[in-house]
This record gives sequence, structure tokens and C-alpha cells, in this order.
Amino acid sequence: MKTRRTLVAGALTAVGLLLTACGGGGSGDGGDGPVSLTFQSLSDQPAAIAATQKIVGDWNKAHPDVQVKIVPAGWDGVYDKLITQFNAGSAPDIVHYEAAGIAPFATDGFLADLTPYLSAEKRADIPKGVLDSVTVDGKVIAQPTELQSYVVFANKTQLQQAGVTIPTGASMTWDQLREIAKAATKDGKFGLGWGLSSPTAAFVALAPGFGGKYFEGTGNDAKLTAGPGEQALPQLVDAMAHQDKSILPVTLTQSGTKALAPFYAGQIAMTVQGSYQAANIAKDAPKGFDWVVLPPLAGSAGPAQAANPQTLSVNKDSAHVKEAAEFVDFFTGTENLAAINEADALIPPTTSARQALATKLAGKNGWDAILASGEHLTSAPYLFAGKYAQWKDTVATPAYQQFLAQKIDAAGLAKQLEDGWKNVSK
Amino acid sequence: MRVLVRPAQYFALALYILFLGFPVLWLVSASVKSSGELNSLTVSLLPSEWHWDNYSEALDKQGLIRSAANSLIVALASTALSVLIAVPAAYVLARLKGKVRAAGVGWILVSQVFPVVLIILPLFLILRTLGLADNLAGLTLVHTTYMLPFALWMLQGYVAAIPVELEEAGAVDGASRLTVLRTIVFPLLAPGVVATAMFSFVSSWNEFFFALVLLQSPENYTLPITLTMFVGGEGKVALGPLAAGAVLAAIPSIVFFGILRKKLTGGLMAGAVKG
Repeated sequence: MKTRRTLVAGALTAVGLLLTACGGGGSGDGGDGPVSLTFQSLSDQPAAIAATQKIVGDWNKAHPDVQVKIVPAGWDGVYDKLITQFNAGSAPDIVHYEAAGIAPFATDGFLADLTPYLSAEKRADIPKGVLDSVTVDGKVIAQPTELQSYVVFANKTQLQQAGVTIPTGASMTWDQLREIAKAATKDGKFGLGWGLSSPTAAFVALAPGFGGKYFEGTGNDAKLTAGPGEQALPQLVDAMAHQDKSILPVTLTQSGTKALAPFYAGQIAMTVQGSYQAANIAKDAPKGFDWVVLPPLAGSAGPAQAANPQTLSVNKDSAHVKEAAEFVDFFTGTENLAAINEADALIPPTTSARQALATKLAGKNGWDAILASGEHLTSAPYLFAGKYAQWKDTVATPAYQQFLAQKIDAAGLAKQLEDGWKNVSK
Repeated sequence: MRVLVRPAQYFALALYILFLGFPVLWLVSASVKSSGELNSLTVSLLPSEWHWDNYSEALDKQGLIRSAANSLIVALASTALSVLIAVPAAYVLARLKGKVRAAGVGWILVSQVFPVVLIILPLFLILRTLGLADNLAGLTLVHTTYMLPFALWMLQGYVAAIPVELEEAGAVDGASRLTVLRTIVFPLLAPGVVATAMFSFVSSWNEFFFALVLLQSPENYTLPITLTMFVGGEGKVALGPLAAGAVLAAIPSIVFFGILRKKLTGGLMAGAVKG
């Protein structure tokens, strides 16, 4: 899929350079009526769609001279759609995507610089690491809207039966997790299940907790290092799976969502998942299933995780960049962010919205721990590494899978990751 | 021993039908299971509790019925266009000799070589210039163009399989060229036309990439585009509603096949008698 993405990007950019002269601006209106803006939204959950419609409705009511129209789109294939739209000069005025996906469009000059429209107050409200994830060449090219972190969901009853004291506090260490998993592995049940069929995203996102960065630099000049900080987590998982035997083996080859089934069935006491799964667990877990979100996981460098927020950007070719940027600023207001993140069970990227949500939900369904994990989200160098997507799919994921299956050792893994990066970024 | 042969044949046939039909059964079953049951380790073909909400959610989602209607319009129109263009072209291609035929066949093969991502941007710009970029008529033209080479390839094989001696015999009996085509060639070609129509319909009905890129307005979205809305970011999938949507999406194809299946066998018989 990602190889195809690269082909799409290369082919369309080349053809686009020749043909963009035929293209026009983003918004099509030019008459005397109200300004009309198109907003391509990827909201997929019914509650999030409703929240998005309400925000847009509120804006349209308050701004009769600037009307926003929602254009729903799906996540599947959105990269292909956007790259064609941008190259053909027909992209929507406001674009919803994730930071990892939107950064290349900014590098190619398709996105407006939102820095002049970002108030000092809003800038101070967004943690630096999150703001870094939407900053390209010193320009803010998107406003973050939603974040996810990796958290540990635990079956409280199962842990208590295993004689484990359930951790509380601001954070818990990975070593603590390992000990708890070992203690809960008994009677044919396992302490942990972790859906690692595509492990790269989780390993890269959690590496900052061990001081791992993976990438230095940007674009095709980015350099990759698979040193101790980057290797710490894969090696810990390997030790838990093969020495402690405290991870249910089948989950290592499953998706994250698939690993929820053994969690509900009591086969595993804990599972590492994206924080958004809280909503699914609340909905799908059997009646009486007593679950809890454990405190944020901390490695040797603390509980940091790399942030890859969902974002709103403005098409540079839009005829109404200023109005679109103002809408983005409105959309990312405290109340709106709290509403949309509650609907999607994700973490607001601004401190004020996180506080508003914490006050509203008061610990319901593990929200306290989830929101706490959001405070440790930091910058993600991989967002700006030019061929990251290609490396992830063609090099890193197969290499990690081989490592977790014990077909290669740690040195072999590091070599594959580093040599693979050199090859794809040539 | 001989008595056992027929039951064994029926048993084998039943097993084969079960094998072929199992994914469909599983899809229908998934479409009426609750999210909790779909994410449970307990596997059962029949749901423990029938959960019809998936269907209402699927129908509510982004206008599934409107998308299905759009898909049907595009699929039927592009099928009709493909067949109308392909039948005479395939006849000429199959009966023609020499360099023109070789060039035609070569062009069909070459046209299949280009990846769609290479042609999508110029295509988008051309259609936009014509005012057909975000338009079902534009998508119909693209689907027709996309399906035509394969339809031609399929049909020219069917034409080539009709012995030219039959046409010559008709001519010897005094039939005009048109009469030969109408009374001899077309009846024999009917099964090929039906098979090509089926292929064209299914290709257009399932086509995703062109529709994804060319259609910008939600009111013009086709079914494959709308079905992707059930797949969210971070790998989130609304499995129950997606299965329900897929079941509903399969119905027009099944109906279309049901209608054409009779024509397929009818055409075969007609060809045999006339031949």
C-alpha cells in the first residue's frame, strides 16, 4: 500500500508539475454572495460526525458571510485523493488529516502558513511537542485537533486474583508492567496481550520514553539510528514474550483490535492499546467486566510518547485563506475540541480542552489516565522523515516481525532498520 | 455400489456449494451480530442475539441508498456503452487480417500496461475542463474507457470461436451481410455478450480508485466510496455496519446476475439451434 503511495506521489507530482497551469483555485465562488468554503472531514464515528456538524453549524450561524460546507471523506485512499486534488488545483479549502500524512504536502508547498493566524494564547495552550508535530520549516501548517496515546487496559478482577497491587499515581514503569504481567501469567492465562502485527507505529511512538528518536533531520536528508533508545522497547517485548512467556503469543501477530477478544474472554489480564479503544471496551466488554486504565508507561527517559495528531490545514491555493484559517481557529476552540475528542474518545491537543474534558468526565471509563498520558506527548521526528511511510511498511514492519519471531537478533534488527532506511531514502 | 454413486455426487455438490457460500453466510451472520459478539473469542455462525441495528446504521451512514443508486446508474450505463462499442469492434478485430488487426490487438494489450495512478491526473484535468470531473456522466465515460480493452479482448475471442464457414454458408444461401450478422453471428455471440456485460457491470460496480479521485461531492459518491466510511483512522472498523452495508451492496449484483444468467443459457441454446 505504502509502496503504491510512493508511486502515486512520484507519478502525480511529476505530471502535476506539467499540468497545474490548467488548475484553478480551491474555492469556486467568485460572486457577490457569501464566501463558500469546503471542509473535507474524515470524521467517521457517528458521535464525531454529529459533533463536527454542530461546530460547522455554529460557525455558519455566527458567520453568515462565510459559509462552510462539510465534504465527508473516508480515511481509506485519502492520501491518493488529496495528492490528486492538490496537484490538480482542486483541493478543498480546509483539509482534515493526520500530521504524518500532511507534512509532505506542506513540504511540497500545498499548505498555507497558519502562523499569522495563531494567537499567542492558542500557541501557549498547545504543548510544544504537539506544536512541533505541525510545524514545518518554522511554519505552523496545521492546527492539531485530536491525539491518541498508547495505554495499558487492565482486567482489575484478574489482577487482584493474581495478587497484584494495581498501580496508581502519575506513571508506572515498563519494568512494573513486566513484573505485573509475570505475576498474572498463571493457570493458562497470560499477563499481557499486545496486537503487534504492525508494530512499527507503536515502537516508534513509544521510543521517546527510552530516549529513542529514530530520526535526525528532515526530508530525504534525515538520518536513522537504531541505537539502545530505539531498541529498548522491542527487546523488552521480546524478553516478555520469550523469556517470561507472559505475552499471549498469538497476539503478537494480530491487530490491536483483535487482541481485545482475549482480553474480554479473560485469557489476558492486560493489553496495550491506542487510548481510543476505551470507547470500544466500554461498549463491547461483557457485562460486569471490571476494567481500568493503568497510569502512563514510563521508560528510562520518562513517560514521553511521540505525538501524531489529527489536524486541520488550509489549502494554500484557496481563494479565502484568511477565512479558512479563522474557521480552523474556531474549530480548535476549547469547547469544540473537548466535544470532538469526547465523541472520538481521543485526547484534546490543547491544555485547556484537556482540562475541560477532565472536569466533565471526572474519571469515567479511565478518562483520567488517558488524559494524563496526553500530557506526555512530545515531538515526533519521524513525521518529517521523507520516506518514513515507505520505510515503515517495506523495512521496519517485516524486520520487527522477524525479530519478534526470533528469526533475527537485536544486531540483525538494527542493521536491517538502518540499511533499509539508507536504501529507501537514496 | 452403483446405488451409492448418485448420493455421493449430491453430497460432494452440497459440500462444494457450502464451501462457495460460506463467506456469504459469514458476511450475513456478521451483519446481524452485535459489536461485542463480533469482538468475542466465541465463534458461532448464528448470532446469539439478532442485532438489526447494523442495517439501520449502515443505511443512515452517509446516504448508502443514494450511493447505491449512483453506482447502479454508472454500472448500467458503462456496461451498456462498453457492450455497444465492443460488439462491432470485436467483430472487426476478430475477422480482420493483417497489420491493422495486429496493431489493434497490440494497442489493447498496451493499454492494460499503464498503472491507473499515472493517468488519473491528466484524466482529472481533462474531465474538469469538460465539466465532468465531479459528475456521474464523467465517471461513466472513465469506466467505459477503462473496461473497453478487456471487453474487446473477451469478445473478439468469442467472435473468433464462431466458424467463419457458417457466415460463408449463409452468404452462399443468399443472405445479405446484415442478415448473416443478425441471424447467425449475433445469436452465437450472445453468451459472450452476456459474459462481457456481467464482467463490465461487476468491474464498474466495484471500482474504487477513479471514483475516489474524480468524485468530490458526497451526493455523487458511489457505493465503494461510501463503504470506506466504515473504516476509520487508527484502524478502527465498524465491522457490523460494514458487513450490513456489504450485504446490501451485493443485492443489485445478485439481481443483475440472476437476470443475465437466464440470457446466458438462453444464448447458448439459441446458438446451438441456429448453428
